[in-house]
Amino acid sequence: MEKMDKMAAADLMMGLFLIVFGGAAIRASLNMKVYKTFLDAPGFFPFILGIIFIFLGSIMTSSSWRRKGYEQIKSGLRKFKFTHLFQNIQVRRVMTLIVFMVIYIFILIDRIHFTIATALYLFFTLYYLKSANLIKIIIISITTSFLISTFFTRFFHIPLP
Amino acid sequence: MLDSFLHQAGMFFHAFSAQLYLNNILVLAGATFMGIIVGAIPGLTATMALALLINLSYGMQFDLAISFLLGVYVGAIMGGCYSAIMVNIPGTPAAAATAIDGFILAKRGEGGLAIGAGVISSFFGMLISIACLIFFTPFVYKIALKFGQWEYFLLAVFGVMICGNLSTGKDPVKGWVVGFLGFFTAMIGLDKVYAYPRFTFGLLQLKGGISLIPALIGVFGISEILIVLEQEVPYKILGKITKVIPSWKTIRSLIPTAIRSGIIGVGIGAVPGAGEDVGAWVAYDVGKRSSKQGEKFGTGCLEGVAAAETANNAVIGGAMIPLLTLAVPGSPPAAMFLAAIWLHGVQPGPMLPIEHPGFLYEVAISLLIATCFMLIWGLIIAKPIASLLKLRREILMPLILPLTVIGAYAGGVRIFDIKVTFFFGILGYILRKLEYPMAPLVLGIILGPLADISFRQALMQSRGSLIPLLGRPVGIVLLTAIVLIAYSGFRRTIEYTRKHAQINAEMIQEGK
Repeated sequence: MEKMDKMAAADLMMGLFLIVFGGAAIRASLNMKVYKTFLDAPGFFPFILGIIFIFLGSIMTSSSWRRKGYEQIKSGLRKFKFTHLFQNIQVRRVMTLIVFMVIYIFILIDRIHFTIATALYLFFTLYYLKSANLIKIIIISITTSFLISTFFTRFFHIPLP
Repeated sequence: MLDSFLHQAGMFFHAFSAQLYLNNILVLAGATFMGIIVGAIPGLTATMALALLINLSYGMQFDLAISFLLGVYVGAIMGGCYSAIMVNIPGTPAAAATAIDGFILAKRGEGGLAIGAGVISSFFGMLISIACLIFFTPFVYKIALKFGQWEYFLLAVFGVMICGNLSTGKDPVKGWVVGFLGFFTAMIGLDKVYAYPRFTFGLLQLKGGISLIPALIGVFGISEILIVLEQEVPYKILGKITKVIPSWKTIRSLIPTAIRSGIIGVGIGAVPGAGEDVGAWVAYDVGKRSSKQGEKFGTGCLEGVAAAETANNAVIGGAMIPLLTLAVPGSPPAAMFLAAIWLHGVQPGPMLPIEHPGFLYEVAISLLIATCFMLIWGLIIAKPIASLLKLRREILMPLILPLTVIGAYAGGVRIFDIKVTFFFGILGYILRKLEYPMAPLVLGIILGPLADISFRQALMQSRGSLIPLLGRPVGIVLLTAIVLIAYSGFRRTIEYTRKHAQINAEMIQEGK
């Protein structure tokens, strides 16, 4: 038996987004400087891409509308509760992992030594994922970050952040 | 003709002697081994293997770096068959078709034989693809020399369109959307003609544009970490690996399948962005229809393993043909390879045989040596690799992030590139969850500048007229191909919409 196509709602939103995005790209490209003619201008190719996005976005919107994307959004919104979103284990897991990545990339790197930043990232991520017992996690975090730093700087002379 | 052949043969043997030195052989042996290991681990694709190990090539001499990356590429594609056969989780998407018969064989206690057949088939696939690479590339170079601005523009559009069409199962529009998003990404930064800043939003770092390697590492590396770690999927090895090397009779029986699948693999590899997974599936499907044992495919048949494994490795040589002649990668790992050789200062394209006369043959010889090591390592480490497959992904995947960070940073020594990697990682994750393929995005980023410049220059030369295109045979062929791809793609989208409109309406009525 065929399954319901659950992507219709997402495709509808993406289709609408592409139409808006295409419009914005056209607007921005028309505001770019024209040196000789528009065919040669920096904005010419983005202008063409904007038209393509609007065209593809319209196709996606009409296709997903016919696949009952709007009804899917409506019924989804009726059942939607923010608390449910955070109760979903998969969503929680991904969001937490992304937060750890953000802290590592945007806060720790470039502020403290790469080896220490990496050890901290690995410790918290492995601990959250319950990858091993606490002692093993500490050993893995410290040794891996030390080995990575030494390996790349000493043997391959590659600069670290 | 004879002179040309003798000249090519002379270049080949010169490259052969030039490549046979200890350092190169050791690098190829090590790289192939590393590639096999990374490719064997579920969740680590061949593209990711190249993305992670590209770090090590930064400090190497140019020819050693090329050998290293090719060794990793060859090893990683083959390595995917171990986990596909032993745990039914393909180490790389390219090995997904291998799992169909391979895993059934493993459950029957014939996992070792399936791995042996897979390794030997991969070896055959590589030999066929290297022969095709050497034979066809000079011809494609000659055609490529006739390319003008129109042809380059149409080639870029053709690449994105065909890649979008082949990489999405249901709805090609999704493939095209990400392909053109890739084009748009390539527009960010200073315009190549007038140095006018486009979509930089006043940010100084964006004026240099989006660097290719950080974007690729993000799309394939970080998104993969999130996809794998979002849920815990425990798996276990069912059978033990016993006898690995098949009998001579078995090997002989696989040769027709290997030749057929090898040719299919090379053909699909030469199509921009199609990739190893498409090659393996097509060869498996053709094998099922044309083999005398076709009805046994899917029930644990060595021929099924051989069809998929020969083709996915044969794609490598095929993917190198458009890469070396037109700078258009035939698969996502080939895109990674292209980015790496750009970084080392080599510009592939029709001028390559003039600027680096022996490069094609050096690539072919490196592939050949890597193929021999792949066969040796592949058969030797079949048994120990089973213990590697027991390694928990919850430990392995977090360790990859620091490596992606180094890979993104080391090329340009800019912290901004790490942030680009993260952004593309999240973008890649969201798009993959929404069933968008990643290959057209990457191809779009690579081909975007070519499409932009060549289209504008072509229009300037013809003063805005499309009529000069009618006098260009290659251009007409490409344009016809684009129209046909668009037509078949839109038809698929319409069929998909019609089918699912009805199903979804019925489901909603039933309140499901």
